Amino acid sequence: ADDKPQFGAANRDKDCTRCHDANDAKPVLAIYQTKHGVRGDARTPGCQTCHGDSASHIKDAPKNKPDVVFSKGTFEVSDDKTRSGQCLTCHTGKSRNNWDGSQHQNNQLACNDCHKAHAPADKVMVKKTQTEVCFTCHKEQRAQLKKVSTHPTEVGKVVCSDCHNTHGSPGPAMVKKNTIVETCYTCHAEKRGPFLFEHQPVTENCANCHSPHGSNIAPMLITRSPFICQSCHDGPHTTDSPVGRNAGGFQSGLTQNATGSNPSSHATGRGCLGCHSVIHGSNSPSGGYFQR
Amino acid sequence: NAADAQEASLKAPASFINFGGAYVSQDSAKFGEYSGMNKSGGYGIADFAVRGGDSYGDGDGTKRWSFTGSDLGLSSRGLDAAISDQGKWSVWLAYDELTHYTSDSYQTPYLGSMGGNSWTLPAGFAPLTNTRAMTTAQLGAFRNVDVDNTRKNGLLGGGFILNKEWDVKIDYNQLEQSGAKLMGFGSAQWPVAPGPAVAGQNISILPMAQNYKTTTVNASLNWKGESGNATFGYYGSYFRDNNNGVTFQTFNGSGGGAPSTQTMGTPPSNDFHQLNVTGGYSFSGKTKLAGGLSYGRNTQNMTYGYDSGVGVDLGPMVTASPTSSLNGSVITTHADLKLTDQTTKQLTLSAGVKYDKRDNQTASNIYNSRSIDGGNIYNYPNTPNSNSKLQAEIAGDYRLDSKQKIRLAYNYQEVKRWCNNFATGGGTPAYAAGTNCVVATGNKENSLGATYRLKASSDVNFEAAYVYSDRKSSFDENARTAMIGTDGNPPGGTVTGLNASNYRGFHSFFEASRTQNLLKAKVGWQANEKWSVDLGGRYGKDNFDTLYGVQNAQTWSLNLDTTYAFRENGTMSAYVTQLNSGRNSTDQQRTSASAAAPSTTAVAVPAGATWSNALKDEDTTIGFNLKQAGLMGGKLELVGDATYSLGKTGYNTTLNYSTTTSNGLTCSSSALLTCGAPPDIVNRMIQFKLTGTYDVDKTSKVRVGYIYQYLNAADYYYNGLQVGNTPAAVLPTNQINPSYAVNVVAVSYIYSFK
Repeated sequence: ADDKPQFGAANRDKDCTRCHDANDAKPVLAIYQTKHGVRGDARTPGCQTCHGDSASHIKDAPKNKPDVVFSKGTFEVSDDKTRSGQCLTCHTGKSRNNWDGSQHQNNQLACNDCHKAHAPADKVMVKKTQTEVCFTCHKEQRAQLKKVSTHPTEVGKVVCSDCHNTHGSPGPAMVKKNTIVETCYTCHAEKRGPFLFEHQPVTENCANCHSPHGSNIAPMLITRSPFICQSCHDGPHTTDSPVGRNAGGFQSGLTQNATGSNPSSHATGRGCLGCHSVIHGSNSPSGGYFQR
Repeated sequence: NAADAQEASLKAPASFINFGGAYVSQDSAKFGEYSGMNKSGGYGIADFAVRGGDSYGDGDGTKRWSFTGSDLGLSSRGLDAAISDQGKWSVWLAYDELTHYTSDSYQTPYLGSMGGNSWTLPAGFAPLTNTRAMTTAQLGAFRNVDVDNTRKNGLLGGGFILNKEWDVKIDYNQLEQSGAKLMGFGSAQWPVAPGPAVAGQNISILPMAQNYKTTTVNASLNWKGESGNATFGYYGSYFRDNNNGVTFQTFNGSGGGAPSTQTMGTPPSNDFHQLNVTGGYSFSGKTKLAGGLSYGRNTQNMTYGYDSGVGVDLGPMVTASPTSSLNGSVITTHADLKLTDQTTKQLTLSAGVKYDKRDNQTASNIYNSRSIDGGNIYNYPNTPNSNSKLQAEIAGDYRLDSKQKIRLAYNYQEVKRWCNNFATGGGTPAYAAGTNCVVATGNKENSLGATYRLKASSDVNFEAAYVYSDRKSSFDENARTAMIGTDGNPPGGTVTGLNASNYRGFHSFFEASRTQNLLKAKVGWQANEKWSVDLGGRYGKDNFDTLYGVQNAQTWSLNLDTTYAFRENGTMSAYVTQLNSGRNSTDQQRTSASAAAPSTTAVAVPAGATWSNALKDEDTTIGFNLKQAGLMGGKLELVGDATYSLGKTGYNTTLNYSTTTSNGLTCSSSALLTCGAPPDIVNRMIQFKLTGTYDVDKTSKVRVGYIYQYLNAADYYYNGLQVGNTPAAVLPTNQINPSYAVNVVAVSYIYSFK
């Protein structure tokens, strides 16, 4: 008996599918292609598991709404907590433990605002189409990912859920791991060290220097060397010679000076990173200045 | 009958095969950066998805399988396979590949292979003392090298449901990276004969080898009870670098003999093991407790790959390295706990606390080495950075009425930074007991935020939020990193390297005291069934409490989106987003307390003189999308997409005093230009895509696509890499702005089947 659907679910679907059939404007029957439609699984819900018994709706559909309305149509949509509550009845724990009190819940999102339970291929679960869903709200990130230096998001290789747990997480900005650096090390383990000579901001937060959603300066830097380095350092290279228009070298109109030292390797091209190149940390005994 | 057939079709798994070809009009590493279409010519289109199993339809079966492939004709290809018995077990397998094309204009005279770990100069190329004055033979030695790196990722995973309460999930992932990324290789000049340092630093820009393998294991045991759940997990990540240094020859020498071979360090192999426990408990269905604990250990003990000799030509070490490997160990711990209560619809409350600690337990010894300019000797203890962060938050959402809600949140954050055992491992000169390695030893930040939400009608939503944060930092400006240089730190240079070699009063932006104001607002309007509009914006202002360094930063953004369903099966949408940001910084210019006299190449600098720099970023993005299905009797669907993006970055430096060189030049004279603004960095991109899909019959489709993408990149960065335009000690690479205008035409045939 335990192998039968717990909710008597699929057996009662006929109450709904006699109207919501193949001719329905929305292809509701496609849910049978999804995991929610596997009748042999004892846990499989039926229409009324999610939409409620909806007795009055079944009795007089045009007049009465279902108990839980997920999307806008004839009837007003149920509030976010009611809609999410239906999903969280079964989908508890694991990566959803932090849903309550998460940014998305606080912003009155419900599961079906991102997930389409009836769709055979839920867009948000497919890497190539996931950003379409996220960008519905995250407009700044949509614009940032059109910048010249980005992760391979447009080709669907690194997408939002690779770094973020959209169901809530203890980490900042809902990143998947406990911290931002831990999240980045998932793919960039070569930056993890521990290095002999550590660069303090690297050990604390990659976003001190990088803009992971995109930047005008490659590789996804918040700004260009030497200016980015000057945000934290005023060593002798920069204090004696502030960098201005000469960062552009001869293109800026710089001319050769008496000592022949124009343009300066501190200012042009890779700037500081020309010499201080292993900036994420060095494992060389002669790498204290991240030059080795 | 037809209705039954239609119903059966909706319930049956859909499979398809898509194959065809594409033609790309122009070579461009930037256009093909991730897509793999980096060269002009033909590419194959191949995608498929095949699904099956007895779990579909109205039967009682629970098994299903799938096999999918995407972009198989490109270097961004991927394959996935999965099989499951729903409610019992599932197994998945995936292969994913991505080549990152970074440059197709790079040139170098060095001999070696891209991705290799050795670079040598052609015979007779060195010595080269001025890279702007190369001979014809030296210029002739330059050759093109395409630079890219490839990730190949394999995944095997499985999930097993043991019973109603317990299940287990395991993922095994192997990532192999090959190829290279361009990097600066700074080198010291080589002397006539082995001996003491020779001043001068030279920069070769070379492909830095990536020959990595990262194995990742993610295993979890999950329990779910009536009111609670728990997950016990292990995460392991084992990184292996198959190189231990990349050797290269320096091009600049003071005399005869062969160019010296020097070694650039590579990332060390390392391991990370982490145990995780997370769980939740529901007291009443409306009151929940969630939390987690993590304990991680990150180790590395790779033998140093470096030039161990003493003397610049043999190696930059002044004295032998005190250790042959680091034996590094970092312990990371994490704890979090959150209580939420949603007992009433009027008021929901949450309170949480989080703690993260990075405890670097590595020993710290003093290393005596030279900078690559050959002159500066530094006595540098390795700095095993540790930090911790404690956060607490309490928040409440109150429903004023059926249409209005307000949320108040208070957040407290406390950061601490330190080094264990700093400079206690021995070496010369000895650092005083208790010497600190970090300037900003910690901070405390209080944030208060309020959000107001209004559902003015079923068609209009409004939201506004304001957050104020105040961060107070504590400093130890006697902290040292390396004992080198006085850098203007009194008293009298007897104590060196104070304030991490920065001026006293200079604090890094990410750790300085700061106040932050953030304001956000958005409104959504569903004008009618066909038309909707969303408008949103954000403004942020940071003020840093520091004498020197970043003084303030500001950001604002504005976004307008609209969607219009102009007919059945037809929608168009458009958006415009403006992102602006900037920051202003200042610094003291001189390294000594006295004024500097002018020379022919430098302006006079009064004591205490300062300069300022302003950064400005402006990004405009405009998008338009059109979808129309049901054309040509319901057989043709058209999707069009156009995007324009303009990214502009500019810097401007001001000297806060007026002075000249001995021969009357000012900072804005062409021989100096130490003030003013370099040309803006401008990236202007236009993208147009049009795809038409025609249903030949119920199972066959033909898809024709056209892409036009244009990038006009203007970046002064590249000017400094050209022959004749480089600094005298930088070997040119002749890399050019990655501008392109690429046309792509694609045709494919899609066969669908059930």
